[in-house]
Amino acid sequence: MIPTIILAVCVMLALAGVFAVLLGWANVRWHVHVPEQLQHLMDAMPGANCGGCGYIGCSEYAEAIFHEGAAPDKCSVGGAAVAERIAEIMGVEHVAGVPSRPVVLCGADFDERLKRPEYRGEPTCAAAVMVAGVQGCTFGCLGLGDCVEVCKFDAIHIINGLAVVDYEKCVGCGACVRACPRNIIQMVPFHADAMAVVACSNLDPGKVVRGVCTVGCIGCGICAKLDDIFTIADNNASIDYDRYQADTDLSAAIEKCPRKIIRMEGK
Amino acid sequence: MGVVTDILFIALATAVINNLVLINFVGICPFLGVSRRIDTAFGMGCAVTFVITIAGSATWIISHFALVPGSALVNAINSIAAGSVKDLLFLQYIIFIFVIAGMVQLVEMYVRKFAPALYKALGVFLPLITTNCAILFACLTIAKSPELTDNFLFALVYSFFGGIGFTLAIVLMAGIREELETADIPEPLKGPGITLITAGLMALAFMGFKGMAG
Repeated sequence: MIPTIILAVCVMLALAGVFAVLLGWANVRWHVHVPEQLQHLMDAMPGANCGGCGYIGCSEYAEAIFHEGAAPDKCSVGGAAVAERIAEIMGVEHVAGVPSRPVVLCGADFDERLKRPEYRGEPTCAAAVMVAGVQGCTFGCLGLGDCVEVCKFDAIHIINGLAVVDYEKCVGCGACVRACPRNIIQMVPFHADAMAVVACSNLDPGKVVRGVCTVGCIGCGICAKLDDIFTIADNNASIDYDRYQADTDLSAAIEKCPRKIIRMEGK
Repeated sequence: MGVVTDILFIALATAVINNLVLINFVGICPFLGVSRRIDTAFGMGCAVTFVITIAGSATWIISHFALVPGSALVNAINSIAAGSVKDLLFLQYIIFIFVIAGMVQLVEMYVRKFAPALYKALGVFLPLITTNCAILFACLTIAKSPELTDNFLFALVYSFFGGIGFTLAIVLMAGIREELETADIPEPLKGPGITLITAGLMALAFMGFKGMAG
């Protein structure tokens, strides 16, 4: 009995010794050199691996910065803090940018949309969008939540059939923009905490819009007469966000819009 | 029978008839965990095949030269201590686990240095499967069945095709689960429920191969 135990201990110790030497030797012999700067970059990343920067994950972005000199302010999760840290590591000047946040260009909830037959197909927007006549408006939110599904930050929800962004939680990774099959979510530079948005994407003439929605933009052009930041194209008003500044005040247009579809979005 | 026939026989018997996952029910954790998408499932299958082949051959060598009655190490111990040690097979489990974990570490370092592309493809999976039960099962089976214990080539074929069988099962599972994503599944069965039922049905289907070969 006792000799067996001693034997087992000896054999295992010998084996452990052999592997310790072997692995130690391999670690030195086959050491992969990671540049110190790259290691610091990887440590600076938030590690959410959301892909909001346009790279596969945090480490790919770190490598892109290191090897190809990618811009330091791509990380929307980390925001200004991470951008500054990256700029510091790389020794470049960081210019504070404006955060981008998604806005949903549809303002009609379930009750405000008309001609909405019951849909019993697969409950995803990607499937529903292929069905003709799934709802009267061919531009509006389908409300089946493909954007909710892809959001890693629980920052977008379907409230009474309409996607609504929670700007307290949103980090601006753009996953919802890519997920929306109707392309009605758009990234907008948020110069202020809340931005005016024309919450409609419908390009049909006003008469058609009135037939399918109680709030949709009819392209009347009242807002464009009040402020030239608005443009009317294809029966739809839009805001030129390049000219939108933190102190831009569009309350007159918001007030005068006959459909009340120009809304303030944000915190 | 010739050697080639033997090899084909072992290959078929291991990959399909005695499939590691669906007949022996080992390696269930990666089978259920990493079978959500076909490409990742295939990556996992390749990684398992890779590790199982290395582990199978390494443990065969160790078993042959150090553990079985009359092997070099046993004889050496007997001559030094003048004792009557029959074999070291009671240390099999712990030594196998130890060797597999160590070998995987070693191979991971080697691949990282000399084949970065392969490391990028398999890297995430390798640490997950160091002490996977499917791999230990294959090593122990090799040590247990006489025709594999005696012939290194057969042991190699067995372990490689064990991995191929695992890949087959996990890729099939991933294909079914991708289809299930869009299926109308009753609420209580969504997620793990339907996955386990699917796995059970697949195991039933694979039982149909029973009796074709050893």
